[in-house]
Amino acid sequence: MTIVAGIDIGSTTAKCVLLDGTSVVGRSLHPVGVELVKDAEQALEKALEAAHLTREEVAFVTGTGYGRFKVSFGQLVVTEIGCHAKGAHFLFPETRLVLDIGGQDTKAIRINGKGEVVDFAMNDKCAAGTGRFLDVCAGALGFDVAELGPAALQARHPVKVTSTCTVFAESEVTSYLSRGKEPRDIVAGLHESIVSRSMSLLQRVGIEPQLTFTGGVSRNEGMVRTLVRRTQLPVNVSPLSQYIGAIGAALFGTERVAGRSA
Amino acid sequence: MSGPTTPEFLARARDEQRDMVEQYYRDLASAGGPKRPVAYMLVGGNLTEIVRAFGYEVVFPEIVALNCAIKHVSLPNILNAESQGYGLDVCGYVKNDLGLQEMGGETPFGKIPKPDLLVCSFSGCYVYVKWWEALAERYGVPLFVFDVPYMRDRAPQAEDLAYVVTQLEEFIAFLEKTTGRSFDRAELTRVLAQSRRAEEGWVRYLRSGTHRPSPIEAYFEAVFYMFPINVLRGTATAADFYETVNAEVDERIRLGMYPVPEEKYRVVVEGVPPYPSYRTFWDFFRNWGAVSVAATYPKVGGLFDRGFLHDPARPLESIAEYSLGAYVNQSWPLRRELIADYVREYSADAVVIHGIKSCRSFTAGQGDLRDWLIHEKGVPTLYLESDHEDPRYFAPAQIKNRMDAFFESLEQRGATASAAGVAP
Repeated sequence: MTIVAGIDIGSTTAKCVLLDGTSVVGRSLHPVGVELVKDAEQALEKALEAAHLTREEVAFVTGTGYGRFKVSFGQLVVTEIGCHAKGAHFLFPETRLVLDIGGQDTKAIRINGKGEVVDFAMNDKCAAGTGRFLDVCAGALGFDVAELGPAALQARHPVKVTSTCTVFAESEVTSYLSRGKEPRDIVAGLHESIVSRSMSLLQRVGIEPQLTFTGGVSRNEGMVRTLVRRTQLPVNVSPLSQYIGAIGAALFGTERVAGRSA
Repeated sequence: MSGPTTPEFLARARDEQRDMVEQYYRDLASAGGPKRPVAYMLVGGNLTEIVRAFGYEVVFPEIVALNCAIKHVSLPNILNAESQGYGLDVCGYVKNDLGLQEMGGETPFGKIPKPDLLVCSFSGCYVYVKWWEALAERYGVPLFVFDVPYMRDRAPQAEDLAYVVTQLEEFIAFLEKTTGRSFDRAELTRVLAQSRRAEEGWVRYLRSGTHRPSPIEAYFEAVFYMFPINVLRGTATAADFYETVNAEVDERIRLGMYPVPEEKYRVVVEGVPPYPSYRTFWDFFRNWGAVSVAATYPKVGGLFDRGFLHDPARPLESIAEYSLGAYVNQSWPLRRELIADYVREYSADAVVIHGIKSCRSFTAGQGDLRDWLIHEKGVPTLYLESDHEDPRYFAPAQIKNRMDAFFESLEQRGATASAAGVAP
């Protein structure tokens, strides 16, 4: 048994995955605070607790995400772009395109048959089209983020959200509400807006099957359906989609450990 | 020579360049103003030899602006310009200059004198024309605007050449009238001979990037060495400087001292640097063992490395050829072919493009360039964006993340464009 840990410190959540070979034996997820080193340690401790393992049993730790350099007790750091590519390929080996929508970033990543990054495109210095965009607009609508997906699926006449700015989109949502539009139709418009932004990133790197959707926003069924409709492709979504970056990080660790013992 | 030597590699010429720049600004700021009248000019296709032949000192507000940015003093100038009504999207060079002029021209490297003459040598950017018009209105000094057609083919077309030569003749007549001096063709010929000597030295320096490992940093280091070829071209000082530089390059090769001691990735860089975060950006390359072996930006003043050199025997014709052939005056098909040629000639592994928010003239088309290099030429290419002047646009974490991911992917694939060859 060789346990490796992948810790993904994102802009909104910290995720940890423990891998034993190809099996996920433990995982954790919690919101990040201001002390990222503590968040990283806590993520590992919680995953160990879930797996009934001790720190001493972990052979290798890899950090990823924006806070990857705060995984100071780890032996390797890899960007989340490389980790999402590797993690998506691990779960869905025929993946050639990954769309990751996290808290503040949207990434389109084209990969080869080995799960290596061939090309990527990311949103610019703006949170429009990311999880944060949905958070802000959910607040304006009085929804919990988890309620957005089901609400979007009930839409009858989706509105058109034209603003490309999170702050202005919030104003646009308020304006639609004041004009008596149904919240579910506004939510559907927001989903359409995010997918439109994602489409331009996907087109930039080249759309080809299979497409795997990762990150927290991939848990939103309304987003998945909109993405399927716009890309005309089936979309892979794993129950572990929020953990794919951490899984990829752990896989980099597994390779390092194998390289050492080879 | 004075000042510290960069510890990573032999950089004595860099110290000399620093002294040269300081001396230039000291002379401009000397008590009672500079010794000679001042002509403001733009770098692209500049006509420094002609105005020097009429006794002018040349000031390039773009270069003043980048010096402000690299010394972290551009933002107050930009904010001042914005308070005058210039919008967020207006070019950072323009706002730095207009803000600086409004505040009296004082910089940490000396006071920038007011212009006596404005020469708009590059009209490919309409914002630049408006910038010069604003300065002409502010100072009430003569303005001469050139109209230089964009290059559609590798060599200038005869009618374009004739069109620019006609304007040069008009410019000379304009200068004779403005200065009261007669045009001295012999003086222009002498100045052009010095230009040519500097250009030959500059080209030799740039071409040394073909060595493996590269003895030069063709973007971050070459940017420092652009100063003489743009600002002091036509002087013996500039020509002599490149002899010093090349002697040092030879010595680096002999001693095995390189800008990136363990060269892992050879990169061609396109685009204007993020001057407010110049060192940080450079470090992002060095951290990955990446060295730029060729770059387009150091050629904004002239594509001397592609065969063009001023010809004292054909003064006006060769100046016209130079203006037409400046990098910024090339059409996109020519620009992208040049970059692909650099990848091949310099055995580069990848291209990094740095786009700048406030300059659509230089940046528009770079997204398509990225796609073309990746999809048509098979060259790994990274596109980054910030600004050349405005520090508010440089997001270090995001830029570092993209660069780390890019070099990680190169490392992971272990594949290089040079190994695979650039697709025909």
